[in-house]
Amino acid sequence: MAAKVFVVVASRMDAMARTFARRYGARGVCLLTPADLSHPGWCYRPGELDTAMAVIGGQRIAVRDITGVVTRLPSVSEYEIDHIAAVDRAYVAAEMQAFLLSWLTALRCPVLNRPTPPCLGGPAWCPAQWVKVAARLGMPVTTVHRHAMFSGKPATKRAPRPQGVTVTIVGQRVIGTVDPVLACQARALAMAAGVDLLAVRFSGRERDAAFVGAELWPNIAAAAVAHAVLDYFHVCATHGEHHDFPSRTATGQPGTRGA
Amino acid sequence: MVFFDQWAVLDAEVQLWVDAQVKGFFRIGQQQIDVQTITAMYLRNADFCRVPAIRQAGPGSRAWHHALDVHKVLFSWAELTPALVVNRPSASASNSAKPYQSAVIQACGFAVPATLITTDPAAAQAFWDQYDTVIYKSLSSVRSMVARLTPAHRSRLDDLASCPTQFQQYIPGHDYRVHVVGEEVFTCEIVSAADDYRYAHRQGISVSMRPYTLPAVCADRCRALAAALELVVAGIDLRLTPDGQWYCFEVNPSPAFTYYQQATGQPIAATIARLLAAAPTATTMPNNFQRSNYSSL
Repeated sequence: MAAKVFVVVASRMDAMARTFARRYGARGVCLLTPADLSHPGWCYRPGELDTAMAVIGGQRIAVRDITGVVTRLPSVSEYEIDHIAAVDRAYVAAEMQAFLLSWLTALRCPVLNRPTPPCLGGPAWCPAQWVKVAARLGMPVTTVHRHAMFSGKPATKRAPRPQGVTVTIVGQRVIGTVDPVLACQARALAMAAGVDLLAVRFSGRERDAAFVGAELWPNIAAAAVAHAVLDYFHVCATHGEHHDFPSRTATGQPGTRGA
Repeated sequence: MVFFDQWAVLDAEVQLWVDAQVKGFFRIGQQQIDVQTITAMYLRNADFCRVPAIRQAGPGSRAWHHALDVHKVLFSWAELTPALVVNRPSASASNSAKPYQSAVIQACGFAVPATLITTDPAAAQAFWDQYDTVIYKSLSSVRSMVARLTPAHRSRLDDLASCPTQFQQYIPGHDYRVHVVGEEVFTCEIVSAADDYRYAHRQGISVSMRPYTLPAVCADRCRALAAALELVVAGIDLRLTPDGQWYCFEVNPSPAFTYYQQATGQPIAATIARLLAAAPTATTMPNNFQRSNYSSL
């Protein structure tokens, strides 16, 4: 394995993550799935990252050699750990989730995106939260309607979300062709959410297009996004940027990053 | 004041419209509440699957899906509203990862035990040799019971490979439970020989409690810790060592305070009720209750 390592934390069933790791393996990209946590060799003393060890893809890696992390896993589900006895899977999944939250938060290398307690990949905002923040930033939005009433009848299917146009934010870079106004809005939304990796969907490419939605899991298998992610880590390493927890608020809200 | 009874979820209706504003209503039975009139919410959520009607209908049933939808909408509102929420779901989640929470605890000035999280038997043995008396406890809030390592555990260290396990140096001393309610601090001194007094009865070990006044510096740290975790009400577990050092083990976002209130007579419930009743609107909220994030702009 290369001396410097980029880690993708993902489900074993995440095809995009597997593709990214396979294509850029020669550049040190490797895939970490929850099953990797069931190998001897993990060692972490909170506050002492220099001596911490990880086991990724069957290989023992010094955590200090991890140059960057992309997280594509919101939480650890029982489906990821079918090698664990069924009666213990809920417990082990919770333990692995807790470990990854702590570990990913403490890593000094860049992490896209830094976890929050409810979600390993960033803020666990529902669509309504994204819409409200977007609206408060001055972005045109469509009102989100949520309704729950028990009628005993089958629930009516929700109308499918309009596809629209997606741009991907990677750090300061905007990937995707939209009006510059939309590009600025997308960056502002990412900043408001405290993330450096975000897919933002608009109803069109024109400057008055409405915000449709956002998600923390853009397609990192797409060449432009993949290159942007690796460049992001390279730039952070070049500038010596590192993270000190808890520079954010404890619930994962934006704070001053160490540099 | 309105009680939203989870047991009556099948008779509940929730509806929200969200853009720059959050509008809608909650209805339980015949009582309907405009969400914009709500100034405070005390969220003590239990797993809705335990509701008898839902348990009987079974996972995947229409009733189950309805209950899930109601709770999703309620939790969304709890995150979106500028009203006082005790405690917001996102803030409560920190308790599900003890090492994460421990880092915040340490940043607020409390001592925390030396900790090792490992799947490596050799690392665990080395830690045990270093600290002689070591406890192990869950990383999450599942099966959360503290126990000491004993010689019988040596033959089981190879089992660590299955899952990261948390070990900590044993900290001797007296236990205290602190309840922070807004700016109020209620402290209870606990006297028990059990490793984990919450489960002392299982070991046939007695527990006694009495009110206690924390040193001002320590009380301030507790307030700061609750604020750092964005918890309006918090249950904080402290231990005072024989040499006078205050350790903090964890912060509970939904403390079962009645146990301590009954033992000490401390007016925790009344203080929470007063806090909720006096909740200001978002525009007049004191700084320590204002959220720094954008989700309740």
